[in-house]
Amino acid sequence: MSIRRVALVWLLGAMAPSLAWADNPLIVEAALDREVAAPLLDAFEAAHPHIQLTFRDRSTLEVDARVADADDPPDVVISSAMPWQMSRVNEGYAQRLDSPAAQAWPEWAKWRDEVFGFTFEPIVMAYRLDLSRHMMPPKTHADMHTLLTQHRETLRDKVTTYSPSRSGVGYSLFQQDARYTTRFWDLVTAMGAADTNLEANTRSMLEGLSEGRYWLGYNLLGSYAMVWAQSHPEVIVQVPQDYSLVMMRMAFIHRDAPHPAAARAFLDFLLGREGQRVIAGETPLFSVRSDVVGPYTAQRLRDQVGERLYPIPLNASLLAFVDPSRRTAFMDRWQREFRRLSQPAPAQGAAITEPRIDKSPKR
Amino acid sequence: MIEVDGTLKSRLAFWLLATVSALGVLLLVEAYFSSQRAAERAYDSQLEAAALTIAEAIQWEKGQPVVEIPSAALQILATRHQERVFYAVLDADGHTVSGNLDLGISPDWRRRVSSQPTWLNDSYHGTQWRLYGRELDSAGWETQDPVQIWVGHTMSGRDALTETLFEHAVTRFVVMVLLAGILMLLAMRVALAPMRRLRHQLRQRDADDMRPLETRVPEEMREMAETLDSLFTRQREGREALLRFTADASHQLKTPLAGLQTTSELALKSDSPDAWRQALTEVHGSAGRTSRLASQLLSLARLRHAVEASATSRIDAMALLHETTFDWAQRDVSQAHDIGLAPLPAAPQYIQGEAWALRELLGNLIDNALRYTPPGSVITLGAVSHAQMLELYIEDDGPGVSPETLEHLHRPFERGGRQDTEGSGLGLAIVDSIVRRHEARMQVESAEKGGLRVRLLFPYLTRHEER
Amino acid sequence: MRLLVIEDDPLIARSLEQALTPLGNTVDVFTHHAQAREALQSGQFDLVLLDLGLPDGNGLTLLAELRQRGDTTPVLILTARDGIDARVEGLDLGADDYLAKPFSLAELEARVRALLRRSQQRADNRLTFGPLAFDAASGVATLNEQVLDLPRRELLLLEGLLLHAGSITPRETLENRLFGFGDVGPNALEVYISRLRKRLDGSGLRIRTFRGLGYRLEEASL
Repeated sequence: MSIRRVALVWLLGAMAPSLAWADNPLIVEAALDREVAAPLLDAFEAAHPHIQLTFRDRSTLEVDARVADADDPPDVVISSAMPWQMSRVNEGYAQRLDSPAAQAWPEWAKWRDEVFGFTFEPIVMAYRLDLSRHMMPPKTHADMHTLLTQHRETLRDKVTTYSPSRSGVGYSLFQQDARYTTRFWDLVTAMGAADTNLEANTRSMLEGLSEGRYWLGYNLLGSYAMVWAQSHPEVIVQVPQDYSLVMMRMAFIHRDAPHPAAARAFLDFLLGREGQRVIAGETPLFSVRSDVVGPYTAQRLRDQVGERLYPIPLNASLLAFVDPSRRTAFMDRWQREFRRLSQPAPAQGAAITEPRIDKSPKR
Repeated sequence: MIEVDGTLKSRLAFWLLATVSALGVLLLVEAYFSSQRAAERAYDSQLEAAALTIAEAIQWEKGQPVVEIPSAALQILATRHQERVFYAVLDADGHTVSGNLDLGISPDWRRRVSSQPTWLNDSYHGTQWRLYGRELDSAGWETQDPVQIWVGHTMSGRDALTETLFEHAVTRFVVMVLLAGILMLLAMRVALAPMRRLRHQLRQRDADDMRPLETRVPEEMREMAETLDSLFTRQREGREALLRFTADASHQLKTPLAGLQTTSELALKSDSPDAWRQALTEVHGSAGRTSRLASQLLSLARLRHAVEASATSRIDAMALLHETTFDWAQRDVSQAHDIGLAPLPAAPQYIQGEAWALRELLGNLIDNALRYTPPGSVITLGAVSHAQMLELYIEDDGPGVSPETLEHLHRPFERGGRQDTEGSGLGLAIVDSIVRRHEARMQVESAEKGGLRVRLLFPYLTRHEER
Repeated sequence: MRLLVIEDDPLIARSLEQALTPLGNTVDVFTHHAQAREALQSGQFDLVLLDLGLPDGNGLTLLAELRQRGDTTPVLILTARDGIDARVEGLDLGADDYLAKPFSLAELEARVRALLRRSQQRADNRLTFGPLAFDAASGVATLNEQVLDLPRRELLLLEGLLLHAGSITPRETLENRLFGFGDVGPNALEVYISRLRKRLDGSGLRIRTFRGLGYRLEEASL
């Protein structure tokens, strides 16, 4: 990729030294793996050779912190931590995008025409093939609870999921789970009882699965997991059959973007037919648009999984997730439930992995 | 002279338009503000609902308020217009229990909210926000310090709703105006139909058709129609009078002409120079009388039937009297008489009138005096200034007339009961016409010296009549 | 004297010719303006009698043309119209007198005589009336060629009357002439008039009083 870009840059520079491409930088702060997004970025650079794209891949919390950096604001902010993105937009950090692509974007995947959910990533379970030798792999959340209850000892220390304190995405997913069913807390109790390992990102969970440390993973980002499974046949991805959350990466143009024109071009590309076609065909991020064809489209996912996809709603209710007191209350309950059936004095496990170092990841 | 001053239609349309525009501006301003109020009410109630939803979620733990912000409250705040939202829960000291933006709720606002729920408009980073604050007193076993709940959102929904409501109001108003305009046009057509009918009828009339109108008109046009009718009547009467007068005049002219004819015919048959001479003398005298008669008839016709508004002006009656007397005194016909002017007031005496008519008036009186008095009679003209009237008089020392004849002296062809003197008797009738034209009075009476005294009383020109 | 009569009515034209010729005048009669215009341009006349209503145009036009050329030949207008407007317009355009039809021949003759006399006076600066004459240059008055030795005021009075001989001289004119514009008693003028009357006694001339109007020097036979 970088060679191609350098070559392209060199070519352009040689052909037209007067071209002002160097004056068209674009800084994108993204909580999005560079490897996953590479085809998309390449396609953008090909379409806009005069824009010099700087793509910084960071964690959600880092991205969130960069938004408020008044001295060096980024042009475009992309993150999967939906409540935090939403909160920044509510604070007024985004600027409106009035382009045909933005206008055509489905209402459920945008807010105020300022922030856009441009991917459609199902939240999945993943298990190692070893699991199926001992028990029926789970297909639903209820299956998961049953397995954890019935095979607690077998699964002890073999289950992994997000740490709600260390991952904004994980926290958001658990909040959303809790909104859908109160039985979620039974699942948390069961996971706590099984000494579930809490990881900061999907990659760690997948690595653990491949290495054999974990047999079962809960609430992984489907996009990453599916790519991983292609090259790691020991890992099986299961989209929950009762309901499957869908996470959207949210992108907005920073209010103080130093290069607003390039930023608009980037977002238009993301939302446009071409960008979405690349998303659908060359990344596992899944295209939101119904008019593009490829292996990874929301439409195709729906066809496979049925109507039990529950996209996390892109609206003001997300703001409640970042409310400090609500977060504290949620974390308190999480820890309470997580510890309920675990040993009173665990040497290691959930309680230790959840030290009260949690500050708001926002600030 | 008819001056066309626009059309009734455009006049009506103008006033309608002016009224509707003025009214419309008021109406639209009112509509805008009421739209704004309606939008405000609608969205303010959402703020209130959101605040109540948050209030429900507040709990006290160990005397401290704890709140788990319900998502629903934020959804309500955001509305379907996806407003940016603000919420804050403040404890009794004003410390934030929970909240998302720092909109800077001032102590003053907090005080206001502590007495009653309050709505506020606030600007934050260049964006307009609508805020709502209410205080929550806990009801429970223990008394807790009150907490304040503040919620707010941006105003695009309100603006959009205001705009929509206002657009509807404007649309309704425009449709109403268009309908009213069309109805007005139709109404004008219907209302003006009688006028068109009347115009059509008048246009189709023959020039000498003076019959009364036969048409149906609405009440408003009755006066105009009646005026037209009375105009026709007057014209008819005028024409009839003119015809009568012409008949009279031609009869009057025929008589002396017949005399001329017979006299000259007889003279032609005769061979005697004496007879010729006598006939010629008669012919000469009669011709003079006839031509005088003709000119008097002309004067009378002119006086009675001159339609054009005669140009009256401010006239010094003394100068006019002097000039006319002077003129007549020089004439051939006056040489046998002693015509003179009594001493006149020194100052000019102004009256409103037509100079030619006044000259004619005095001339006729002098002429009459000359004709109806024997040679050598003394004829005196003069003026007396009364308080409100100016009197011009002419008197002679001739034989005078009997009191009963005085009565109808001014009727045409009346000769004061005498057939001996020359003249048609038209003179006094002319005089009478001119007098009436000048709103003056004429008195004919016997003079002290036995002759006739004619007094003409003219109203003075008052100040406001001067032009 | 050579007179030009412009009149289309043959009866009146013949009367005029017959009445004026015996007074020692040559009378040319034209019935159309066009002919009259030619005659006026070529010949010299002492008086023009102009009828306003001719078939080929308004007489006032002809009058205006005449005066524009600087021709001061006296013009007497004859017309059947006796409206004051036509009269004023005619006099404004430079007519010397105005006579409305019908008129008596005696009146016509008197007017013509007056106009001719005025035109004569303009020519030789002498005022004459019958046996009375006044040389304005020398200030000498003569009656039947005899020099009248008159005091200054009587001489002024005589001149004033002679200027308007045949018509009334307004009293105000004579008073101003004799006494200036100062106030004088009503009888002051009468005193000088009666003195002058005595001097004219037996001369065939007399001064007639018009009460309140003025005085006229006239032939005693009238």
